[in-house]
Amino acid sequence: MKAKETILKMQICECGEKNVSDAIDIFQNTSLPFKKAKKLVTECNKSCCRTALLKVYDMSLYGKYDYEEISYIIEQRLERLKRLAEGD
Amino acid sequence: MYNYEWDRLKTWLDQYGVITDDVKVPEDITRIDLSGNSLKEIPNSFGMLTKLIVLNLSNNSLKELPQSMKNLSNLSNIDIRRNKFTELPDVFSSMSLRSLNASGNKISDISNLSDCKELRVLDMSSNSLKNIDGIFSSNNEIHSLNLSFNFLKDLSSVFPVLTKLVRLNLNGNLIKELHKSISKLISLEELDIADNHLEIIDDSFFSLGVENINFTANRLKSLDLRDLNSLEIITLDENPLERLSLSDDFAPYLREISCDGCGLKEFILPASKMLERICYSYNEIVEVPKEIINYQELQELDIDENNIINLPDTLANLLNLNTLYINGNPLSENAKKIISILDPEICDINMKSGITIESAKEEDLQEMAELLSVLFEIESDFEINFDKQYEGIKYLFESSGSNLIVAKHNDHVVGMVTMQRLISSAEGNFIGQIEDLVVKEDYRKMGVGSRLINKMRSIAQDYGYKRIQLAADINNDNALQFYTRRGLNRTQLSIYHFTI
Repeated sequence: MKAKETILKMQICECGEKNVSDAIDIFQNTSLPFKKAKKLVTECNKSCCRTALLKVYDMSLYGKYDYEEISYIIEQRLERLKRLAEGD
Repeated sequence: MYNYEWDRLKTWLDQYGVITDDVKVPEDITRIDLSGNSLKEIPNSFGMLTKLIVLNLSNNSLKELPQSMKNLSNLSNIDIRRNKFTELPDVFSSMSLRSLNASGNKISDISNLSDCKELRVLDMSSNSLKNIDGIFSSNNEIHSLNLSFNFLKDLSSVFPVLTKLVRLNLNGNLIKELHKSISKLISLEELDIADNHLEIIDDSFFSLGVENINFTANRLKSLDLRDLNSLEIITLDENPLERLSLSDDFAPYLREISCDGCGLKEFILPASKMLERICYSYNEIVEVPKEIINYQELQELDIDENNIINLPDTLANLLNLNTLYINGNPLSENAKKIISILDPEICDINMKSGITIESAKEEDLQEMAELLSVLFEIESDFEINFDKQYEGIKYLFESSGSNLIVAKHNDHVVGMVTMQRLISSAEGNFIGQIEDLVVKEDYRKMGVGSRLINKMRSIAQDYGYKRIQLAADINNDNALQFYTRRGLNRTQLSIYHFTI
């Protein structure tokens, strides 16, 4: 199991170059709905990190963070990207 | 006769705290939750739990299940999410499974499922599936199927047998085409096919009775929307649409349409008069047509980041329109006037930017005490007395086990909330007592209150508090609605006090 501090430093969005801690900070400091709040993190229209960001956004909304869940989703996405790059 | 095998299994189950003292024989057990125990294997004697109906093995490190589980003929609901399975255990084919969640494994082969004819709910999301041809027999009972985040390219041979399917999630696959066989999904109500490579949708798709469709982030360039008589919600965000047409007979009961970031040059007007939500943000729209008045049920209009200069006068007459996102448009003065007449509850151009949420500092205490008078004006149990309120806030600030959070704008306190640590005998642990949540009138309807309470919940979680609680004035309807919407449950308790 990863430490909370390690998970907070994990990159969650490559386009916006944000880590989990940045995303939590941004979501805690906006009252915009997800679609708009997501753009504050990604600074783009792409959907690559939507699943992970939606999870963090929902957690921010309810004020309770499951860091293991966040880490799992990010890792799943990275593994998927790797497999796609390998030609799957 | 003493049953050693049962004794060993009972001891094994006991160490995970999943059975109660009243369990005497294996047949007493109908439900077991062994989730999150880092299990690498299940004992072979597990098969003696022949009355087991529900089994949760999620979040472990399992790669296989013991053959004895073939005896679990009553098991109908099994959860093996987030384990290390690379194929579905063959014991499943001997069970009468109705619900299977195998999400988050590395499964590439589900051929064992062809014998599970009673299966109704199947979640195979986040696995390694590339092909599921021939898995479901023609008399299958599948109602809900989640295949999101796999590597599927073509389901055309699977659709014809899924006639009872109600919910289908194909999000995050590699599908390029909705083949004409999709017309066989005659029971389908929800389809999520976001994040695929979809370019072609067969005509037969439009004859379906689907109610909710998500086509977000595909490669759709041209779309002629028609029929879909039961459709209520459609999301087309982030498709490179060069052409989008809606016929007059398209979705007569449509309530929500979203087409963000699709390069739309015109404001599309669906025929449905029941529309409650239109999202056309991040497009190239220059004009909102005056016919928008036809949508008297409209509650939310999201048209930010377009090229809109003028707005039709009719917009101000949409009495139900309470949320308007319109930032990032070169609006004329007249358009701004129309927005001020409409006066929606939530409007991004009225939102103030730069409101920060932070821990209170000593220099904030005076403004916080002043802000409390706004709260006590509403709450009839309290009287406004600046000196008392200042003293109270100062005590709180200086005492350990207290947290004071403020919302600040231009270095002034515009909102606040406090939390004090209590010991709850009911929870057997610390809990947080929330008090003094108030936002200045000019800063309401901007989500400041939500941000304050979310921040406090996050702090409570960090401290490991088991609960947060608060008291609210029963005559303050706004506050009661606010707390309910944010997931706080109203209790049966009333507060009494006695002045000493």
